[in-house]
Amino acid sequence: MTFFGILTFAEPFILAGLIVLPAIWFLLRVTPPSPRRVVFPPLRLLLGLNATEETPSRTPWWLLLLRLLAAALIVLALAAPTIGEPPKPLGNGPLVLFVDNGWAAAHAWKDRESAIADLLSGAEHAGRAVAIVPTANAVGPVSVLDAGSAQRAAEQLAPVSWLPDRKQAASILAKTHFSSAPQIVWLSDGLDYGDASDIAGALSKIGTVKILADAPGHLPLALKPESNRADGFAVNVVRAETQGARHGSVSALGAHGENLSSAPFAFANGKDEATADIRLPLEVRNETARIVIDNEESAGATRLLDSNTKRRAVGLISASNTNDQPLLSDIYYLDKALAPYADVTKGSVNEALSRNASVLVLADIGRIAGADYTTISKFVADGGVLVRFAGARMTQNVDDLIPVKLRSGGRYLGGALAWQEPQHLAPFPDTSPFRGLTVPKEVTVSRQVLAEPSVDLGEHTWARLTDGTPLVTAAQKGKGWIVLFHVTGGPAWSNLPLSGLYVEMLHRVLDLASGARPSDMGTGASTMFPAYTVLDGFGHMMKPSADALPLRGSQLSKTKPSRLHPAGLYGNEGAQVALNVFGTKDTLDPMGNVGVRVEAYSGTSAFALQPLLLSLALALLLIDAVISLLLRGFGFDPRRLLARLSILALALLLIHPNSARADDAFDMKAALDTHLAYVITGVPDVDQMSAAGLKGLGAYLHARTSYDPKDPMGVNLDTDNLAFFPLLYWPMDPREKDLSPQALSKIAEYMRNGGTILIDTRDLTLGSTRGQDNPGEQTLKRLLGKVDMPPLQPVPPDHVLTKAFYLLQDFPGRWDGGKVWVEALPPPDPDAGPAPARGGDGVSPVIIGGNDWAAAWAIDNEGRGLVAVSPGGDRQREMAVRFGINVVMYALTGNYKTDQVHVPALLQRTGK
Amino acid sequence: MTADQTRLRDIAEQIAAGLPPLLVAAERLASVISLGVHGRRKSGMGENFWQFRRFQAEDPSTAIDWRQSAKSQHLFVREREWEAAEAVFLWRDGSAGMRFKSDFAEVTKIDRASVLTLALGSLLTRGGERIALYGDGRAPSTGRAALNRIAHELIGTPSDETLPPDAPVSKNSTFVWFSDFLSPLGEIETTLRRLARAGLSGQLVHIIDPAEEDFPYQGRTRFESPAGRQSEIFGRVETMQGAYRARFRAHAETLRDLSRRLGWGYLAHRTDKRPEVALVALFEALGGAEAKMRIA
Repeated sequence: MTFFGILTFAEPFILAGLIVLPAIWFLLRVTPPSPRRVVFPPLRLLLGLNATEETPSRTPWWLLLLRLLAAALIVLALAAPTIGEPPKPLGNGPLVLFVDNGWAAAHAWKDRESAIADLLSGAEHAGRAVAIVPTANAVGPVSVLDAGSAQRAAEQLAPVSWLPDRKQAASILAKTHFSSAPQIVWLSDGLDYGDASDIAGALSKIGTVKILADAPGHLPLALKPESNRADGFAVNVVRAETQGARHGSVSALGAHGENLSSAPFAFANGKDEATADIRLPLEVRNETARIVIDNEESAGATRLLDSNTKRRAVGLISASNTNDQPLLSDIYYLDKALAPYADVTKGSVNEALSRNASVLVLADIGRIAGADYTTISKFVADGGVLVRFAGARMTQNVDDLIPVKLRSGGRYLGGALAWQEPQHLAPFPDTSPFRGLTVPKEVTVSRQVLAEPSVDLGEHTWARLTDGTPLVTAAQKGKGWIVLFHVTGGPAWSNLPLSGLYVEMLHRVLDLASGARPSDMGTGASTMFPAYTVLDGFGHMMKPSADALPLRGSQLSKTKPSRLHPAGLYGNEGAQVALNVFGTKDTLDPMGNVGVRVEAYSGTSAFALQPLLLSLALALLLIDAVISLLLRGFGFDPRRLLARLSILALALLLIHPNSARADDAFDMKAALDTHLAYVITGVPDVDQMSAAGLKGLGAYLHARTSYDPKDPMGVNLDTDNLAFFPLLYWPMDPREKDLSPQALSKIAEYMRNGGTILIDTRDLTLGSTRGQDNPGEQTLKRLLGKVDMPPLQPVPPDHVLTKAFYLLQDFPGRWDGGKVWVEALPPPDPDAGPAPARGGDGVSPVIIGGNDWAAAWAIDNEGRGLVAVSPGGDRQREMAVRFGINVVMYALTGNYKTDQVHVPALLQRTGK
Repeated sequence: MTADQTRLRDIAEQIAAGLPPLLVAAERLASVISLGVHGRRKSGMGENFWQFRRFQAEDPSTAIDWRQSAKSQHLFVREREWEAAEAVFLWRDGSAGMRFKSDFAEVTKIDRASVLTLALGSLLTRGGERIALYGDGRAPSTGRAALNRIAHELIGTPSDETLPPDAPVSKNSTFVWFSDFLSPLGEIETTLRRLARAGLSGQLVHIIDPAEEDFPYQGRTRFESPAGRQSEIFGRVETMQGAYRARFRAHAETLRDLSRRLGWGYLAHRTDKRPEVALVALFEALGGAEAKMRIA
């Protein structure tokens, strides 16, 4: 049913529901908002009262309007309206959908889907028969379906990773019998594979044809084979058109789809190719599994990388590093030959290995010297590949890091006094990793080192001259390989280094470093590569279907992806070869004039309004709910809310710069040594006493224990990081300011994470009494009342604190007596028998006492006590120091001493 | 286990859970005030010296004050001042309305009333007075046991009576009545007169939830009685605030007049105020009438 030409309702009869709107209006009008319920004991007193103004027991008109609107929207939404005109059918005959479903259609597959959906819904209304012909996998005869079945068939339709075969599809279509001349809609991918106008002509013979193609600027993109460069990948992106600028980015993805690096590309107007440089360090680059064009989901915009594309780090070492005559030096040729596939480091063995080289190339080094010999032997045994080139030095004196025994001297061929002509290379044996490489005729060898004949020489030989003498020999040593070229790396002995074969051979040798077996390498004509994973049209990896056939090695470079060989990785776990969609020579050609007018995909022609209307109705109902709550008195005052928010914001502003001021110097100092620390109370005399006391204690610790504390540090609880200090000394003084919330949470965190605070209430220093009303204790309550303190108990006689270093039973400081409190220990295990010492798990987070220890520990520069102790005597000061040492040892070693005191018992038990 | 036993156990657990904090709260309150036993200005049981008198034949020989007797020819007996303790009956309203707590108060009225009752009881027992929970059928007694028994009664088996029942009392005792006094004024007056006739004098402590006095409600509201039997809907209740407050004030005034006419004291206490204030005021009121007290 269509209104106003553009608005269509799928279920028009539901609109009848709008009739009930007046009824809803009436009901809502008479129902007052439900009252708030309050229990109120003096109800009796209220009963006689009349509210001076009875509430209008009606809903306000605007609320009413809101609700009616919501109801109307729901009714409208249920009628499933769509805006826009459904496509007009072309005619009355059967409808044929000729769909290009190659990878080139994948990037805008949604457009195809909506076009197909529109066409099918049109066909369903008209009751037309439908045939769907996917051009990329048209195999069987075309079946003519009704619109409903066609809908299901269309849902199965997906792009594939090869190119369509339109000619095949057209010929199949031509064989199909239709009741009348069909209307053909060709949903093309906009590309011409050289036969577009022929196909258009062939289709026109079957019926009337309409062609859809991507709008200009939306044609597919493809990735050309990347080139692997020293600093990353260079990727060429091609497009089908040349008009207009277009830009985007390409990304290198790892094996799990993680983005390793991205690079932008931009097509200039008039160009169909653009370059992107993805910069990646070598280690990361070898992790790259594929390169994709971002936001272009198609197999053509995806390049799979196989192990061949991995770059190796190669160390190149030569006897002479002089570079004054580059064209004569081995290094020059080796560098040029290795550069396409490897990162070459020149220099010493250690330099190369420090850069994680997996291949070492030694040019004309006869004897590897002492330390280097050990290093290289280990390198090979651990899986490295050592490639050596012969040279004048090797004819005289050779170490044993060679695959075969060599005869001293050498062999001259084709010299003035020689009988023989320079030798050519023989074809590579099948066991050689070089197999399959073509041997150019012009490569000759005029000098070489000779291998000592032996029984196993044959199996070590990878390449021979035509007279059978080995040219390349190799042997496995440990996990690694040693490969010897019996000629020089430069053109002095042969012209092999001047040929392309040299590059290929070195490439194969580099692959040894990836752990491949020589027999797996090379593309032996008979090797079969089964499909390992394949790409679908969108460029997503999937398991290969049963259709996918293995590839023969000899076909690998010639194969284009097809239904039988989809693009993807071929081979076995660990050694795979990539078959990519787009080759170096491939191009994307736009479909030109094919004799039929080409229309663009119009995107969605009809826009469904239902979700929009429903969400609008939901929003209105939510607003209504909020308003209803407000009317019923669940009020919130927006001004108060605003005020609170602004206070919060202000507080955050004020706090932030404060906390952001990280004092690096302090942290560095605190972290580099274990310092004793005290809390800066802000009361100068107390702080000075703390510093002097800890300094004194430090001196005693230095003298008597193996712990040598550096100068004690004062800690500002507000700004400093407490995490560095195992022990904090904190004297209490009524003049101390209250702590900020941040400081409190810091203290709590410190105690939670294993820090120990020694709190000194300094009872007799501050007043005449001990106990609850003492100023120190009251300060403690004021400062730390809000902190989560563990349950405390007076130090029990068997507590580890009494045994951590000295054996102590009381803990005097400047004053004697009083109790020292620690975290309550778990009750002793009755089964364990009498334990000489007990400690909890870890260290007590607080030790609280009131004997003003700092004053007792404090010494002046001459080492004399600063403050007299009371009741007095050297013994009391000594005991105070011993307590200090015990506390520090306790904070540093925890319950270690508890274990120590069990040692005799343990020894006794093990002795039995 | 029978249903009765289960119920008993539940109650016991309830007591165990509720008793200590309540008692402690009451004790803490009471520790603010210290007091003495009131002397009766005549000889009898007591601790303070009253007079020496000549030994008579019926006196036990242990009563002879030998030190005094040695000063003269006669034997003397030391007499002490008779210190009689008061009997105080406490009664707390346990009606459903007392269990009300508005958003503006921290405790229910019944909790506050219980705390005050126990705190007063604690004070009284420490002063040597005899106390009893009115209507529990026990004679007034003194000491911690009495206090514990009252706590047990208040928490374990709370009565839900709105007004004090008819129960035997000893004459010339003091009666302290904690309630929200929201029963009809007529009923309250009848009860009060009955108690006065029985020879009791005392104190009404009017426990008020702040919402009951201030009426801070707005908008369309359905007011329900605590028992849920009655309800009434009012629109725009903020407009009723003035009238309601006047009515509540008048109600309290009437109560005060009534108590004054019968020679009783009246004390209003809002549950958002500190209970110590009420306790001190209560003690002043009781002490002013009955005994010498020192407010610490």
